[in-house]
Amino acid sequence: MTHTTDNAWEHPEVQLAGGGYIVAFVVGLALMGLSLWMVRGHVFAPTGLAVAISALAAVAAFVQCVLLLHMTVSRTQVWQTVALVLFIPLFVITIGLTSWMFHGLYRRTMMMPATHVARPATPTRPRGA
Amino acid sequence: MLVHIDGPWSPLLGRLALSEIPYNNPILVGTFVFAALLAVILVGLVTYLGLWRTIWRDWLTSVDHKKIGIMYILIGLVMLFRGFMDAVMMRAQQAMADGPHSAGYMDSPHGYLTPYHFDQIYTAHGTIMILFAATPLLVGIMNILVPLQIGARDMAYPYLNAVSLWLTAAGAALVMASLFIGDFAHAGWFGIVPVMELPYSPGVGVDYWMWAFQLSSIGTTLGGINLLATIVKMRAPGMTWGRLPIFTWASLSANLISLSTFPVLSVALALLALDRYLGTHFYTAGLGGNLMLYNDLFWIWGHPEVYFVILPAFGMISEIIPTFSEKPLFGYLGMVLASLGIAGVSWGVWLHHFFTMAASPAVNAFFSITTMAVGIPTGVKVFNWAFTMFRGRLRFELPMMWASAALFYLLVGGLTGMMNAFTTNDYMVHNSVFVVAHFHMMLLLIVYAIFGGVNYWFPKVFGFRLEQRFGKIFFWLFTAGTAVVFIPMFTLGFMGMTRRLAYVAFPQWRPLLDIEVVGIVIYLLSAVFLVAQLYVSFRDRAQNRAGLDAWETSRSLEWMTHSPVPFYNFAVTPEVHARDERAWRVEHGVDTVRPERYEDIHMPRNTAIPLWLGALSFGLAFGLVWRMWWLTEVCGLAIFALIVIRSFDRDTDYTIPAADIERMERAIRDVPSGRPVVAGVRGAVPAFRQGV
Repeated sequence: MTHTTDNAWEHPEVQLAGGGYIVAFVVGLALMGLSLWMVRGHVFAPTGLAVAISALAAVAAFVQCVLLLHMTVSRTQVWQTVALVLFIPLFVITIGLTSWMFHGLYRRTMMMPATHVARPATPTRPRGA
Repeated sequence: MLVHIDGPWSPLLGRLALSEIPYNNPILVGTFVFAALLAVILVGLVTYLGLWRTIWRDWLTSVDHKKIGIMYILIGLVMLFRGFMDAVMMRAQQAMADGPHSAGYMDSPHGYLTPYHFDQIYTAHGTIMILFAATPLLVGIMNILVPLQIGARDMAYPYLNAVSLWLTAAGAALVMASLFIGDFAHAGWFGIVPVMELPYSPGVGVDYWMWAFQLSSIGTTLGGINLLATIVKMRAPGMTWGRLPIFTWASLSANLISLSTFPVLSVALALLALDRYLGTHFYTAGLGGNLMLYNDLFWIWGHPEVYFVILPAFGMISEIIPTFSEKPLFGYLGMVLASLGIAGVSWGVWLHHFFTMAASPAVNAFFSITTMAVGIPTGVKVFNWAFTMFRGRLRFELPMMWASAALFYLLVGGLTGMMNAFTTNDYMVHNSVFVVAHFHMMLLLIVYAIFGGVNYWFPKVFGFRLEQRFGKIFFWLFTAGTAVVFIPMFTLGFMGMTRRLAYVAFPQWRPLLDIEVVGIVIYLLSAVFLVAQLYVSFRDRAQNRAGLDAWETSRSLEWMTHSPVPFYNFAVTPEVHARDERAWRVEHGVDTVRPERYEDIHMPRNTAIPLWLGALSFGLAFGLVWRMWWLTEVCGLAIFALIVIRSFDRDTDYTIPAADIERMERAIRDVPSGRPVVAGVRGAVPAFRQGV
């Protein structure tokens, strides 16, 4: 067992953090709230909405990478960055191939009237009430 | 917020009521009596022998990777037995319920199981065998071996290791609880969508399945992180990547898969939970949901999972064959690349599980090709094993018998897999028992490797060899059972028999189904000999004591410490000079050298918190299954509180002084090595260099 310290404050991740974690949390919450509001209120046409929330998701991912994961090429943090780079092919394979499959699938099987898709969910009663 | 469910519900018991206890089902009552008797006998025995303190102190609260591994293996064996009994029931039902004139017993139109009960049995069989038998058995073996093979004191995170174990145990306990309280899922082990959605499965069965799956998934993810960190960070000095034992490489590739795919499963099941509890529509047919989303997410985990279980099996075969060929492994680099290659390709094949579900021809062709590509690294491995055996001094002791027989299963399973990989073929055999027979060949390959590995490393862990005569009878009966069950199953698949039939409509299939019953009886008989083997081994353990190197021709680092391994693994962290360190030391005549001086050893301290976390997770899941919200809330809060409390605990480790190590080391009397003489050839110094 290699052993460094019991004191959490001495870990490099913690020392690097500063107020970053709080800022990332608040910004993340704000971005999610913003996209939820956009979707619920249908503030744009569907295509515009998809583009807008994708852009917000990209910003959120960037904020998390920088402020939470501290992805830099410094000696202590480079392994985080390497982990992200290794993750990219997995992301491309799973999301990419899934989209490819669904792209063909929708044209074959999922022909639904638009009204059916757009109808809001039926309200549900709470349990035990 | 919560979905309304018709039927009784009370704040205290949730959906649970006396009517949910299946006291009127003779099969389940019989099972309960059996389980209760077994429990009474075990509890009585432990009390009589006064072992409670030992069990608590040395096992339940242990963070020792070897003990955790053994407990994983025990869970796996218990669940293997449960899953096997499910198989016996299915074989019996299909043989009895064949043809319109077949008799029905116990409220069943045909056979003795109602279709609803039969559906639960095949669901339980699949879930148990993959998640609660194969996975814990392999995780247990990796837990024991990886730190030993790389010369580490323990895992990188011993506490987390115990948490993983108890989460898996909680999942297994949940599956077992479903036998006697309520019922289990009837929607197949992979969740047939939309059958597992609330409108089609309003009972608690799917909830049991979903939360048990979820607990095991979280446990395995944490275990994967732990093993990866151990392999990357905890290697002994001199253990470069090029010298890493091949089983450790296999574990590394397997856990790369588990770390990257189990989270997908967790998400897929969490979305299902949202559907079933909060009324979202991720996997429904309408309202913006999509059935295929579930299939896609599930199999993104599901197919890599089968490579997660097969890679450690390949790793074990790769360790056993060189030892009993008395030669170094042929093509080490090829083997490593093949393991990583299988792990890599595993990500790109999942869609072959739904070739027949309307994906475009180009998509199917792509996944057909990637699936066939799996054959390349696997083929490399087979040739490497064959060349390892070529011109070796082969000794067919039990581990070698299991390992070499596993290769035949790889051949049959691999070739039928190639047949399934052709989309055109798959359209013919999809959903037939041919597919069932195919994946059982692959899983039996894993079972064979596990039995080989258990026989091979048993003396290292317990200090005595397993008895061989009963062991060989067990091997041959098990092999015969496999042939007699699965050859007719392949045949029935070609004849068009579909999976999951509670009633078989064609009387002309009856002879083959009867032969399968004969096969399962042979399996049952073989289990008796397994028990006999274990009993005789334990009884004669004094005669069968093993030295450092139980097989005399072993090659890797774990054979350099005592058998059984002391809790600190190595008295002095070994310096590694070669890929096959033990063989290198034997060749250079330094295998019996004792260290000149000892150093303090830093060890993790035992803790009961992981056990409590497991018990509370069980309570949390049980509360969710029965919608007993108070139980869920209490357990959830307690888990949170325990984690916080534990984070303030500074007393998590201790140091064994060098003097104590020296005293303990002097007290250990290793059995002297007696090189075995086989067929007049003295299996002396294991060949270190190639071409010997």
